[in-house]
Amino acid sequence: MTNENLDNELDNSGEPTPEYFMETLPGQDRYVAPIDETPLQDVDSVDESAPATSMWADAWRTLRRNPLFIISGLLIIFIIIVAIAPGLFTKQDPNACDLANSLSAASSGHPFGYDLQGCDVYTRVVYGTRTSLSVGLLSTLLVVALGTLIGAIAGFCGGWIDAVLSRITDIFFALPMLLGAIVVLQMFKSSKSIWKVVLVLALFGWVGVCRIARSAVLEAKNLEFNTASTALGSTPMRNLFRHILPNSLAPIIVIGTTSLASYIVAEATLSFLGVGLPTTTVSWGGDISSAQTNLQTDPLVLFYPSAALAITVLAFIMMGDAVKDALDPKSRTA
Amino acid sequence: MGKYLLRRILQMIPVVLGTTLLVYALVFLLPGDPVKAMFGDKPINEAVAAQIRAEYHLDQPFIVQYFIYLKNALTLDFGNTFAGQPVIDEIGRAFPVTIKLGLMAFVFEAIFGVVFGIISGLKKGKWYDTVILIVSLLLISVPTFVTGFVLQYLLGIQWSILPVTAGADPTFLDLLMPAMVLGSVSMAYIIRLTRAEISSNIAEDYVRTARAKGMSNGQVMLRHVLRNSLIPVVTYLGQDIGGLMGGAMITEQIFNIHGIGFLTYQSILKGEANLVVSIVTLLMLIFVVCNLVVDMLYAALDPRIRYA
Repeated sequence: MTNENLDNELDNSGEPTPEYFMETLPGQDRYVAPIDETPLQDVDSVDESAPATSMWADAWRTLRRNPLFIISGLLIIFIIIVAIAPGLFTKQDPNACDLANSLSAASSGHPFGYDLQGCDVYTRVVYGTRTSLSVGLLSTLLVVALGTLIGAIAGFCGGWIDAVLSRITDIFFALPMLLGAIVVLQMFKSSKSIWKVVLVLALFGWVGVCRIARSAVLEAKNLEFNTASTALGSTPMRNLFRHILPNSLAPIIVIGTTSLASYIVAEATLSFLGVGLPTTTVSWGGDISSAQTNLQTDPLVLFYPSAALAITVLAFIMMGDAVKDALDPKSRTA
Repeated sequence: MGKYLLRRILQMIPVVLGTTLLVYALVFLLPGDPVKAMFGDKPINEAVAAQIRAEYHLDQPFIVQYFIYLKNALTLDFGNTFAGQPVIDEIGRAFPVTIKLGLMAFVFEAIFGVVFGIISGLKKGKWYDTVILIVSLLLISVPTFVTGFVLQYLLGIQWSILPVTAGADPTFLDLLMPAMVLGSVSMAYIIRLTRAEISSNIAEDYVRTARAKGMSNGQVMLRHVLRNSLIPVVTYLGQDIGGLMGGAMITEQIFNIHGIGFLTYQSILKGEANLVVSIVTLLMLIFVVCNLVVDMLYAALDPRIRYA
């Protein structure tokens, strides 16, 4: 249909207005919208004098305005400071315990009281921050690196490499992370360390990132800019690093941020079960586990490390939500 | 559809084999000699030890042991525990308890998650929406074992409404608190998911069209908004069945429930290879089958999706 025909038809359908439509009944108002006289081009045209913006700049602008981001950001900065310099917040040694103080109530200088072993609960909560945070951060970094690498190889190479890697991913996906972690950590029962917990969490956690990285790379691989770059003589490797990976980074960052909290929880759960960290390492999970026996008489000993754990996890979950909103506008919840 | 189903089932085979091999390898590499442990403090009689090793094929290389296990598993013989009990009996005793617990948790999270999600999504911005949101965020951030202790302390010890721990043969009431704990995190996710879906669907054009046609508000909600909003929720619920079985490990530990999770943890500690591998295979089969059912359900609920 040509433009002229279209115009005619519109005119025809609009013209013969029946009389009774025009009649204004008593008490009835007629409202006619003013004609918008701004030419369509002015609205649609691109302002070329404005500074160039990127997806990352856009995301940062969205983030900065999100109260969720500001609150969680401040909380996380505070948590990081506590983790780096616990000495700023307490002058005591978390392992200096005196059985004479066992389960004593809070007193001046010891706001959270003492646990069963006579250790100062406040000091242990402060020192436990470093453990939780380092396990969470290191596991996430490792998971993102491993998942992106395997996912990118699978998505980029395709063919039988993709088929084999995808089946391996399926196998790890079907295995619950906690179950696998307990089995492996049980092997290192006699030589526990933070690094082993991190490695084991990464070993069973990379699958989620891998799947997302694979589909993101697969999507970016088939876009026009990639064909254009190949036509200009770029090698596949250059394409991968210059064009494909930067374009598939956003979903990887989103899943990385959102899963950080779950690694902190996983570490606490493993320590709670007694297979995670060595008993000499101060950790919230371990403290919750040992406070469990006196739940009936001294619930507060269990409450403080739990609250610290919950606040940390909450901060990272809120941060994950904010980053997701900024980088993935389609999933915006509010 | 039939062809798609067949392909999916065929794809499951290498995954199941791979996972059992992986778990078998992991358990096999566990340190400690279970035969030595059987003798306890008594001096080890080498002849008897060798006989036991031969009986359990412990003298064979790992891969041979795996294939023996696999061959027997095909005839539903999953071997014996080191105490001489058939593995299938142990699982048969523990599994009904976990099924009961998992089912209760599933019903709990489905009903409360969807109901609170709908209330929250329909009345966005009201005070109870805010309360529901904060509570669900709290449930997500607090690890399950902490939720367990808090409920144990409040419901069990302070107010004495529910029993604090379950025993060997738990009743419905014994399992009520564990089920709430097990389902709490998923319930929070379902609330958030339902809320987001409802509030985005309610602004869709088809809702306005339905209203414009003169459909009553209740009908619009039931026929259009709810049906469209609950599709992702059903997917989530289906995938969560496998997660519940895994999560049972912590919950059963806290509440002393002698189910699959408890059994798994104990057998990992004891290095019971046969038991661990059998349980993990079982859980994985449940997980894989649930995923398949969810995909089928997805096509049934959403007419836009058709599998070729």
